[in-house]
Amino acid sequence: MSAPARTTQQHTRGVAVLVDFRPTGKLRGSKPVDVAAALGPVVDALAEDSVDLSRVRVVCDWVQYRSNFREVVDIRPILAAHGQPELTPVPLAAVVTEDEMEVAIDVRRSGDVDLKQLTGELMRARCGEVDLSRVYLEPWLATSASVIWEFNTLYWKALDLWEQATGRRYEQALPGGQSDARNRDAVREMITGLLGLWDSLAARNALPEELYIVELGVGNGSQAKTWLDEFVELDREHGKDYYRRLHYLMCDYSPHVLELARATVADHAQHVSSFVLDATQPRTALGFLRYKIFLVYISNVYDNLPTDEVAQIGGHTYIVQTRAYLTRDAAAEIGQLTSAQPEQVPGLIRKLLRLGPALLAEAASAHFPSVEAAVEFWRRSWDALRLEERYLPLAGLDLYQIAPTVSGEMLRPLLESGATIRMHVNNGAVASFVDTIPLLHPYGRLICHDLFLTDVHAYRTGFRGPGKYDGSIVNWLNGPLLAHIGRRKGFDVDYQRFAHRTGTNIVTMTAQVRD
Amino acid sequence: MLPLLPTTVVGSYSVPEWLERLKTDYYRNRISRSHLREIHDMAIKAALKDQEAAGIDIVSDGELRRDNDIDYFLARIPGVQISVTVKSFYYDYYDTVVVDPLPADAAPLGLAEDYRFTRQYTDRPVKFSFTGPFSLSHRIRNKAYAKSADLIRALAQVLNAEARALAQAGATLLQIDEPFLAGYPEDVALAVEAINIVTKGVDVRWGLHVCYGNRYARPSWEGHYDFLFPAVLDANVDQLILEFGRKGYEDLHMIQRLGWDRALGLGVVDVKTEQIESAEVITQRIRKALETFPADKLIINPDCGLRHLPADVARAKLTAMVEGTIAVRRTLPAAPGQEPTVEQGA
Repeated sequence: MSAPARTTQQHTRGVAVLVDFRPTGKLRGSKPVDVAAALGPVVDALAEDSVDLSRVRVVCDWVQYRSNFREVVDIRPILAAHGQPELTPVPLAAVVTEDEMEVAIDVRRSGDVDLKQLTGELMRARCGEVDLSRVYLEPWLATSASVIWEFNTLYWKALDLWEQATGRRYEQALPGGQSDARNRDAVREMITGLLGLWDSLAARNALPEELYIVELGVGNGSQAKTWLDEFVELDREHGKDYYRRLHYLMCDYSPHVLELARATVADHAQHVSSFVLDATQPRTALGFLRYKIFLVYISNVYDNLPTDEVAQIGGHTYIVQTRAYLTRDAAAEIGQLTSAQPEQVPGLIRKLLRLGPALLAEAASAHFPSVEAAVEFWRRSWDALRLEERYLPLAGLDLYQIAPTVSGEMLRPLLESGATIRMHVNNGAVASFVDTIPLLHPYGRLICHDLFLTDVHAYRTGFRGPGKYDGSIVNWLNGPLLAHIGRRKGFDVDYQRFAHRTGTNIVTMTAQVRD
Repeated sequence: MLPLLPTTVVGSYSVPEWLERLKTDYYRNRISRSHLREIHDMAIKAALKDQEAAGIDIVSDGELRRDNDIDYFLARIPGVQISVTVKSFYYDYYDTVVVDPLPADAAPLGLAEDYRFTRQYTDRPVKFSFTGPFSLSHRIRNKAYAKSADLIRALAQVLNAEARALAQAGATLLQIDEPFLAGYPEDVALAVEAINIVTKGVDVRWGLHVCYGNRYARPSWEGHYDFLFPAVLDANVDQLILEFGRKGYEDLHMIQRLGWDRALGLGVVDVKTEQIESAEVITQRIRKALETFPADKLIINPDCGLRHLPADVARAKLTAMVEGTIAVRRTLPAAPGQEPTVEQGA
């Protein structure tokens, strides 16, 4: 186990249980975590089980998202390659272990439950492939393919219904209550840089007639309005009338959102176009702008795109597989709400995700007398949704595809030390990033405000998602991975803490052509 | 004798991911120089075979020994200092500096050995390319010369000596690449002056390749080739090898109108996309060029090096290029039963 994640060895019946305590920051301060109270009952429960303790690892996290996909204690099987030599992974580290199980404890919540009893129940339930106390929504899948992302998509598609039900706008769910995209100082800094660049290109007779700016994920259009308003003002002061040549392209996969955004920027209608597109494939709509875009702006989009997690445990590389479920109690409660048996709930959820709440109320009126009832079902299901996890060995990084044009080999520099780590792959963000940068003008920049980790070491000391933000998902972003991929594509990728608001976790990523 | 519309490559060939990793391993001191040399030898033989199989008339070593278009040369030029020789990725540029004037009588850079190796493994005509003095100078921090032009001239002298060694080794077709020139259109006259220093007294056919950049398969600049004129007319070169496949053929009339009456290397393959042009597309592009330039003045090549393309894509593009060229050749007048031919290198 690598420093500084705190590792201790608990000797039980002469064998070792490896303990990885990640939230080291919670060991000090006015209310330090009581490690013994969290670990003791769990280890006692393990000792009473017949499991080979030398092949068990215990992981402690502090899951800061009050709404998330985890139980206080989870058992995660660590699978072995099944005797197929061609699929047997070659360990990246010289010293390997053969763990077969990970026990995960959320130490933020562990004080409120009987950990020994809970762990014992989970250990007994693990004997079968299926835990009868759970109602499953899907088979084992890479996390990026999980049904949780369909919930996430539904949230953005039916945002208006969700907001009506909760009585608050989605921006209010963000830390600080609004998107940093509307920060005027940040916007002015961006525009000032652009004006300077355009001047220098104009001086060399190399400034194109059309000046393109793209925003991916426009929300309600307030960022676009802020940007355009500031641009008009700064351009007027600058005196070159670049506004006349400016084209601001708002892109979102929701036509409804784009419509709202267009209304917000009505004052700039002559300079704004909108495109319905999937943020992971911007070139499907914007391919005609290859090498022509001076600024691509993305705020709080990447953290909301599908991601897998990979892990390096005991010298072996794994992909984290997940399986969404509801506890039987939660399914029963939701079923009661909708005149359905617990076993019927997964079917209704699938219907909800396919149709959306408005159509669901029509298609299944026996269960949902109104749209409001369907939205309530949606919200309850989302709240109760959990993920089982297991580790599946990766036979080779080249056999894992991060995104359509990005091989898993890109993970090698982050894993080759062999140290134990679990990290996000951010498949959707990577796909978006590599499909966006070819659009940039040779002097163009991609600027992204989001929850970037700038050091993979941070994965060893903290929980980085997935969490639930209102009806959507949040994951931190693997900054070193994106930087490495950018570098291999000829881009410098720089991270700076967001400079225009204190106390924020937001980091500004800037990508621009190298050399 | 070469056929009319001879096909060739600009220089670099596909660098597969495994080779990138091995090259990077070398620059991180994980494998030895001798192992890397053997790896390069094998890769060059394979690249030659690929070109021959595709039907390319004039082949190259694929520039596979080179880490990039600049450092392979600067690292060999005495007087160019490189403080950090480790690279996190082999393709990165070194930070280089010149603090004293370059020595006048330096030892050869070793390019002739590279040529000899290539010559040994193919019967086809070989093109050997190297980066020109203007572009090389743009990756050097100049602390030795009062004027950057003097650094460029000094680099040109070094390259002239190397060109002489290449000619002595049997090279008959040398190409100067100036990938940075399009970014500095105001300096074309200086670049041409330096090119003429490089070519002076070296009796081979000379090509000059100017594109809009191909770093990481992206253009570094955009524009039109009018910036080359009239200065380029004074360049002592036989061929001008330009990028058209990606940008279109509108500049051809201008190039002809401004007086270029020597051979033209016609870029017909876009190297910045993995989409493979069909032979029909290649045929159309060549026919378009034939409206402006006679067939005996045209050489058919990709826009630039194939370095960034996957090997299967590079092979397919070259094959299509050859097929499209052959289709055009068949429509050109020639003696009955004979392939139309042209002097080697046009």
